Amino acid sequence: MAKLLIEARNIKKRYQMGEVIVYALRGVDFTLYEKELVVVLGPSGSGKSTLLNIIGGMDRASEGEFYFGDFHLHEASERQLTYYRRNEVGFIFQFYNLMPNLTAYENIDLSAQIAENPLDIDGLLEQVGLSERRDHFPSQLSGGEQQRVAIARGLAKNPRMLLCDEPTGSLDLASGIQVLKLLRDFCDDYQKTVVIITHNTEISKMADRVVYLKDGLVDKVEINDSPLSAEQVSW
Amino acid sequence: MLWKKMFRDILSSKGSYLACLVLVLIGLVVFTSFSILRENLSFSKEYFYREQNFAHGFVELECMPRGEVERLSRIEGISDISGRMVKEVRVHELRPEASVYLKLVSLDLAELRRVNDVLLLQGDELAAGEEELDAWIDNQFFEANGLELYQELEIIAGGSLKRVTLAGVGMSPEFTYPLRDLKEIYPNPEQFGIAFLSLEDMEALFPETRGRVNDLVFTLEPGADFERVKERLETELEQYGLRTVYPREEQVSHLILTEEIKQIGNMSRVLPLLFLFIAGVILYIMLKRLVEQQRGQIGIMKAFGYTDTEVVVHYLSYALLVGSIGGIAGGIIGIVLAAPLTGLLLEFFNVPEVYESFALRYLLTGLLLSVAVFLFSGYHGCKQVLKLKPAEAMRPPAPAFAGKTFLESVHFFWEMLTIQGKMAVRNLSRNRSRTFFLFLGIMVSCAVVAMTWSLNDMIDKLIFFQFEEVETYDAKITFNAPADRKKVERELQGVPEVMWAEPVLEVPVKLSHRWLEEDVLLLGLTGPGRLYNILDASGRRITPSEEGLILSERLADNLEVSIGSTLELESPLLHSDDDKVEVVVVEIVPQYVGMNAYMELAALEEILKRGELATSFLVNVGDPPAAPEGGGGDGGNAISALRDRYREAGMVTGVDGREERLEQTRELMETFGVAVYLYVFIGVITCFSIIYSASFITLSERSRELASMMVLGMTTREVFAVITFEQWFVSVFAMVAGLPLAMLMQWGFAREMTTDLYTVPASLTPESFLMALLITTLSIWLAQRFVLRGIEKLSLVDVLKTRE
Ligand SMILES: Nc1ncnc2c1ncn2[C@@H]1O[C@H](COP(=O)(O)OP(=O)(O)O)[C@@H](O)[C@H]1O
Ligand SMILES: [Mg+2]
Repeated sequence: MAKLLIEARNIKKRYQMGEVIVYALRGVDFTLYEKELVVVLGPSGSGKSTLLNIIGGMDRASEGEFYFGDFHLHEASERQLTYYRRNEVGFIFQFYNLMPNLTAYENIDLSAQIAENPLDIDGLLEQVGLSERRDHFPSQLSGGEQQRVAIARGLAKNPRMLLCDEPTGSLDLASGIQVLKLLRDFCDDYQKTVVIITHNTEISKMADRVVYLKDGLVDKVEINDSPLSAEQVSW
Repeated sequence: MLWKKMFRDILSSKGSYLACLVLVLIGLVVFTSFSILRENLSFSKEYFYREQNFAHGFVELECMPRGEVERLSRIEGISDISGRMVKEVRVHELRPEASVYLKLVSLDLAELRRVNDVLLLQGDELAAGEEELDAWIDNQFFEANGLELYQELEIIAGGSLKRVTLAGVGMSPEFTYPLRDLKEIYPNPEQFGIAFLSLEDMEALFPETRGRVNDLVFTLEPGADFERVKERLETELEQYGLRTVYPREEQVSHLILTEEIKQIGNMSRVLPLLFLFIAGVILYIMLKRLVEQQRGQIGIMKAFGYTDTEVVVHYLSYALLVGSIGGIAGGIIGIVLAAPLTGLLLEFFNVPEVYESFALRYLLTGLLLSVAVFLFSGYHGCKQVLKLKPAEAMRPPAPAFAGKTFLESVHFFWEMLTIQGKMAVRNLSRNRSRTFFLFLGIMVSCAVVAMTWSLNDMIDKLIFFQFEEVETYDAKITFNAPADRKKVERELQGVPEVMWAEPVLEVPVKLSHRWLEEDVLLLGLTGPGRLYNILDASGRRITPSEEGLILSERLADNLEVSIGSTLELESPLLHSDDDKVEVVVVEIVPQYVGMNAYMELAALEEILKRGELATSFLVNVGDPPAAPEGGGGDGGNAISALRDRYREAGMVTGVDGREERLEQTRELMETFGVAVYLYVFIGVITCFSIIYSASFITLSERSRELASMMVLGMTTREVFAVITFEQWFVSVFAMVAGLPLAMLMQWGFAREMTTDLYTVPASLTPESFLMALLITTLSIWLAQRFVLRGIEKLSLVDVLKTRE
């Protein structure tokens, strides 16, 4: 059995909207193991992003307990959260969020600079197939290319896990598959834990484990004994 | 509906709009208060001059029969002319610690249209022919010395103690800014005042002047030419020892008052424009950004059928709101401030207050001005709305091409930068106009602070220079007429307090070169003297020359002469055989206070051919060995002793302690310091609002970038450093560029301020520039604290949720 990386219990997230209170998460139990690729699947508004943000230390749960090893994230200070993000988590967003003023190389470097033992930037660029585009700015790259830079950037810090919020959400099929393949490879080659959020059922076929989210609650969890490779996925 | 949207938009960037508002407010406060102040001052001055028949021309001479004045009034161009006896006397024992002087001016009670008439504020008319001597005293002296009406003052006139009753308190247009001598910068009513006496009483005080006058003041007929009148007077009065004829424009009180009014006028125009300009630019940037951010909303509004005009008007209403709130509030505060300001200045310049306030006019002008500036910058900020088609507007803007910047080709520099540095440089070069504004703003604020501080330093230095370097004597003993030098020297040798004494011969002269002429005081000083030093630009001491004249720079400039030029010299003290003599200029030296010529004493005596003379003696004192208190050191006791010794001496007008004068000037200077702090405050506000709004805009425009960095795990400090690096990068260059600007401003200011009375050095002191750097840096730092707070409050989730 793989080692436990994250354990979250009874996570709730409330939003005060004037008079009414909206629940984005109503008590989610969530575990994450080392070196696995997990897909969180659920319809839009089911609380996927909210959950991911809490796991990534970008947001705080309103209630619940949340451990990273012995580390109690639910009672961590701002500073501790920052260092948690810095050392343990790589984020990948639907809209890439690259620095428009930095080249591909520099975007990755920005992230590598703050890490304790970063990966080699040129090696990463090579792996995401963008060595040629090293000195290009984001606006000179296609969406798929930008997302690959974003993945390299997330990985450059050499974090324990990669958290991806709809990484293929604004990409065409071919680019999407390229991105998914990279994520699968990194999970296997670098022994990282990868979490992919999506509302696309097809993508869940490549996961080791699938967590179904519905209305802010975990609907079910499925273990996938024979995940498909990225190339076999199609939508 | 749109109003609600506007208020929400404004609230969400309240800081920047507030900065605009504050700038407009300050601008308008300065505009209205200073405009009204200028108008009140100017009106009060004119009214005072008109009512008191203030002279257009002034004449000083040895003495002439009073009967002749009537004849002079027939000179073409002269309207009214009054002949007066003017004498300076010492007041006996009014203040124990210092000499107090009164300038006595006679008034002809029989005259119908007296020139420079005195406005009686309280008390009675002057009565002639009584036993008792009556005088009106000037109001500032009256107040400063806590005098009472009908009190008696003891004065020393013609060597004897006389009593004068204060019959009234008055004000004269001639003495709105009374200086005892031109070396003083501020009036000192505690020690110098004006007293007005009837001719008869004046003659009773000075029997030898019976039937004579030594001073004329006259008004001109409308359209008359002063120069023509002056020529006539010069020929008519030559025989009476004419010293000088000068127009109102050169009269000291008038000159200083007029300059002050002019400067207030300049300030009322320049400062508000500066503030409005900065506010306008901030607003422009804010609106431009708002419109860029709200592209989508604009598209929807247009798609709904809002016309271009309606959309533009909507965005302009932001400008209008800020402009009119700031304008009205600033105007009202300005009006409220104008009254006390006017009161303060009129009291400083002894002018009676007459109100003729067009407050409303300035309020409206100011409001119109600020609204106009804002509509202009606002329109330019949001005119791109017009170009947007609805469909286009709803799409995000095409990404700006992100090429390399120029600095990247400077390889070694580029390699030195961290990633954050590279980001900063690229951001700056991609937002050139904004970078330029940031640069300009910081440069100007830094320069303003440097210049003001420097000016303050300068005046300090000027006084220090005059009192520590030039006039190194402890006391100056002045005689009421040129005295026998040798005799006084012998006399002083016997005085125990006097350790060292040097004679001075002060001769009023007219120097002319081609068609240019100047009336100045020529100082005859002994060889290598110790107590009055003539210093050249590098501070080296120069020995008064036997060969010719040493001129102050300003004097040389006015006469357009250089070393080696020949001047013609005329003086009432010249021996009557000589009409004029020729002298050579041997040296030109800087002189900050006053405008003089210098010569070696014996050589001057030779020119005058009147024997060995001195008009005053400079002395260094020490406590005599037998002094009862012993020691003392500062010579204060010795000066009092000296003063006591000559209290009764008819020949001595007074004994002036240098330390006292220095002390008084210092005290008076402190009021000037307020103005410096005001300017520094203005600099800080400007700098602060520029950095604040620049940061604010950066924060809202690039929140996505900043949030992404934080998600990567950068601390708030590290993210903050990215923004501040940019600002410091520009600021360093801007502050450096502020140095030449400050020098330029200082140079311009020095030119404006320099008059025949004092020369303001045109150089910037290094300390002031350091001070400006410090202050600018501090205000930048302060503004950045708000940015830090903004970053701390940034919600990562919210920012990153939306698409770009
Ligand atoms: N800042 C917020 N304020 C109020 N409600 C929010 C906020 N963020 C998210 N929600 C609500 O929480 C629910 C879950 O959102 P989210 O986690 O983004 O869903 P998903 O990523 O699965 O589409 C949604 O119903 C959304 O409306
Ligand atoms: Mg989502």
